[in-house]
Amino acid sequence: MGLKRMIGRVAFALLVLGIVAWAVFPFAWAIVTSLKAGSALFTVEAWPSQPSLANYTAIFKEQPFGRNILNSLLAASSVVALSLGLAVLAAYALGRVRFRGRGLLLFVVLGVSMFPQVAVLSGLFELVRWLGLYNRIGSLVLSYLIFTLPFTVWVLTTFMRELPKELEEAAMVDGAGPFVIVTRVFLPLMGPALAATGLLAFIAAWNEFLFALTFTLTDDARTVPVAIALMSGASQYELPWGQIMAASVVVTVPLIGLVLLFQRRIVSGLTAGAVKG
Amino acid sequence: MAGVTLRGVRKSFGRIEVIHGVDLDVADGEFVAFVGPSGCGKSTLLRLIAGLEEPSGGDLSIGGQRVNDRPPAARGIAMVFQSYALYPHMTAYDNMAFGLTLSRTDKRTIAERVRAAARLLQIEDLLDRKPRDLSGGQRQRVAIGRAIVREPQVFLFDEPLSNLDAGLRVQMRLEIAKLKADLRATMIYVTHDQVEAMTLADRIVVLNAGRVEQAGTPLELYHRPRNRFVAGFIGSPAMNFLDVVSEGRADGSVRVWLPGGVPLDVAVGGAAPPAGAPLTLGVRPEHVGLADGGAGLVATILAVERLGGETHCHAALEDGQRLLVRLDGDRPVAAGERLRLNLRGETAHLFGPDGRRL
Amino acid sequence: MSDPQTPSLMHQRRRAAWLFLLPMLTVLAGVAGWPLFRTVFFSFTDATLATLDGFQGVGLDNYLWLLRDPVWWRAVWNTLLFTVVSVGIETTLGLGIALILNAHLPGRGLLRAAVLIPWAIPTVVSAQMWGWMFHDLYGVVNAILMGLGLIAEPRAWTADPDLALPVVIAVDVWKSTPFMALLILAALQMLPRDLYEAARVDGVHPVKVFFRITLPLIRPALMVAVLFRTLDALRVFDLMYVLTGNSRSTMSMSVYARQYLIDFQDVGYGSAAATLLVLVLAVATVLAVTLGRVRVDAGR
Repeated sequence: MGLKRMIGRVAFALLVLGIVAWAVFPFAWAIVTSLKAGSALFTVEAWPSQPSLANYTAIFKEQPFGRNILNSLLAASSVVALSLGLAVLAAYALGRVRFRGRGLLLFVVLGVSMFPQVAVLSGLFELVRWLGLYNRIGSLVLSYLIFTLPFTVWVLTTFMRELPKELEEAAMVDGAGPFVIVTRVFLPLMGPALAATGLLAFIAAWNEFLFALTFTLTDDARTVPVAIALMSGASQYELPWGQIMAASVVVTVPLIGLVLLFQRRIVSGLTAGAVKG
Repeated sequence: MAGVTLRGVRKSFGRIEVIHGVDLDVADGEFVAFVGPSGCGKSTLLRLIAGLEEPSGGDLSIGGQRVNDRPPAARGIAMVFQSYALYPHMTAYDNMAFGLTLSRTDKRTIAERVRAAARLLQIEDLLDRKPRDLSGGQRQRVAIGRAIVREPQVFLFDEPLSNLDAGLRVQMRLEIAKLKADLRATMIYVTHDQVEAMTLADRIVVLNAGRVEQAGTPLELYHRPRNRFVAGFIGSPAMNFLDVVSEGRADGSVRVWLPGGVPLDVAVGGAAPPAGAPLTLGVRPEHVGLADGGAGLVATILAVERLGGETHCHAALEDGQRLLVRLDGDRPVAAGERLRLNLRGETAHLFGPDGRRL
Repeated sequence: MSDPQTPSLMHQRRRAAWLFLLPMLTVLAGVAGWPLFRTVFFSFTDATLATLDGFQGVGLDNYLWLLRDPVWWRAVWNTLLFTVVSVGIETTLGLGIALILNAHLPGRGLLRAAVLIPWAIPTVVSAQMWGWMFHDLYGVVNAILMGLGLIAEPRAWTADPDLALPVVIAVDVWKSTPFMALLILAALQMLPRDLYEAARVDGVHPVKVFFRITLPLIRPALMVAVLFRTLDALRVFDLMYVLTGNSRSTMSMSVYARQYLIDFQDVGYGSAAATLLVLVLAVATVLAVTLGRVRVDAGR
């Protein structure tokens, strides 16, 4: 049994290593590429012979990448704050009060988070133009609500439902109305849930591409994904791959850091949002 | 302080009625316990009084005022929950003060009342702690303290001790008894533990399937159960029931024949059943004695349970009917032995076919 | 019955509930309901981006044109192929990774952390990263494959019409498998452990345990995850747009619709395409809920 078991273990370890390599390699390669300057870019080597940070300085000097990051931060954090604020109240209603039409509403909320963004593009374009938000951050906050709001409502509803009923009843006996129950009894208990939900919504908004591509025009109004997708170099036909990879690394490192830091909460948030077997 | 009156109170969940018209008067300052098997509606009845459920019919008054449409906080009640339901993010002090803060009581009054309650419950040193840093018994005290500071007309307890371990439960039971004496408030107490009910309550309400089976003092229920359900529910170990046949009335009592041809005269209050009617005889295990000499009911011991202070004998009569006998702790009995049992008419009960006591 | 004049506690709660829902519903109606209605409305007009308020109704013309356009049908085919193949691979791989993560073996933590990385990377970034790796002249993929002797000369992965869609699928599998694995893992972890112990005591072969016990038990959760991924894949946009631009060989329905809406400014025609995409998604959902008996249930 010993040998067979050993072989099994080794094979298993190799499999795990293979999966890890498959998951990590593209990002590692992006880091390697971002450190290659000039013609080094065009040689395939595992580590640049002369690592250089030139690409990193270039994205902030030659490109308005600092501004792009700011735009993304601003849009994502505003939409997350707005969504959480609206969703906490809605989640209380959907999660803890029985009323007719509740199931239908939940279904509608889920449906909205599922429908294709391109389907609202023309209507939103009209709305954005009418509100004078074209090429402004406001247009992104407005359009991102389409996916962040249903998501936060859905996840917070499942969290809200898990809170003990007797706690709410104790508050009612103490004379608390629905608003006080939400703000002073439930909200303080939902810190972890809000953090996980907010983080997931933030990532979704941070990564959004279609709306950002459509509702912004100029380089300095763009968000990070659009900037990375449309980054162009000196000549129109030559993509600045080194800079693109540098920009990719810059925006991805904090995301990966956050995700690894909040691993468990993210997993619980994802599953609360999706799997209800 | 005030009493609580229920008149024809009903409650349905959807199409299913769970409380079928309950009439009840709880006097001012009385301690009433609701007992019954799980699902009997005792907790629902308490929640109706608290205002956490709406009655589907009937009237509910507290202190002479109809409170059907008042929210819980405006009924002059306070409730202690089974799971304590303390606000996890607040200190013990803030937990107790929360209701008063919401009603905008001034800070000094709040502090006075919280301190007074804490002193009464001996939790003055714990006021800065959060619930997670408190033991089960301490949490229970804070929960009771939260009820006390509201200075309610009626205290409602929903199985407050069932989450505690056995030793702590006895201790808290004594403290609630003390609280009852100190506060002299009306208290309604839901429990499935009849020992709690018997020891604490002035009056016990036995509920079954959404109806009041009987309401009375603990000893009334023990000695004069109105029907077979109450007789079987109150008392531990539970009352024995034997099928017997009536021979008819004689001098305010009914003679029945026990298995093996032993006669027994049982005193009855109401109309006597006709001769030959099938009846049920109820005898508590502690009222089954051992007969001297050769007379008495013959029983074979099936199993013996020794509890130290007492001994429970599971026995079978000649016709196979089972009977539990409670004997002294040291009585030398063993399975397979035959016993001669002595039943007394004064401590036996007769129940008609409808379950009512005669 | 309770007094109709004074609202009871339950009525108050219900009223508060609607009050709490109102802001959320208003916003959703504004950013989703109304625009969707306008899109459907525009699909029956000849509106252009420049003349959003001066248009004429054209009836079903846009749809009739659409149904005669081979490029549209190519986009439909691309989208369906992409969805079926990538979701199929992702489910299989995700299941495998979830089973590994669920086993109490060394290296679990490392594996879970590594698997989360592709999920955390923005789609656009992963598309660019893979685009660079698949670069025809300087890409590492060509270098590795040639080094191993698997291909004789460099391939133009993203430009070759036969290779472009497989490349897009490969990138999507890399990016989305972790999501699948995490959802399946969550379902696996809800299974009672003594079930496995009972099976092991009974000497049931592990493969049989998987197909007879594990799979049927996680089926509901698995179906929900598959439905979510399917709906996500049907509306795919970023990957194709960044990796291959508006190339016909990979164009998805979303890319097609957006190209007409924005690049060609033909709002009427683009809206018709977008409306058809919504219909496809609706059909997929209905099929999943009825045939697959998927239960997406938040209200118990």
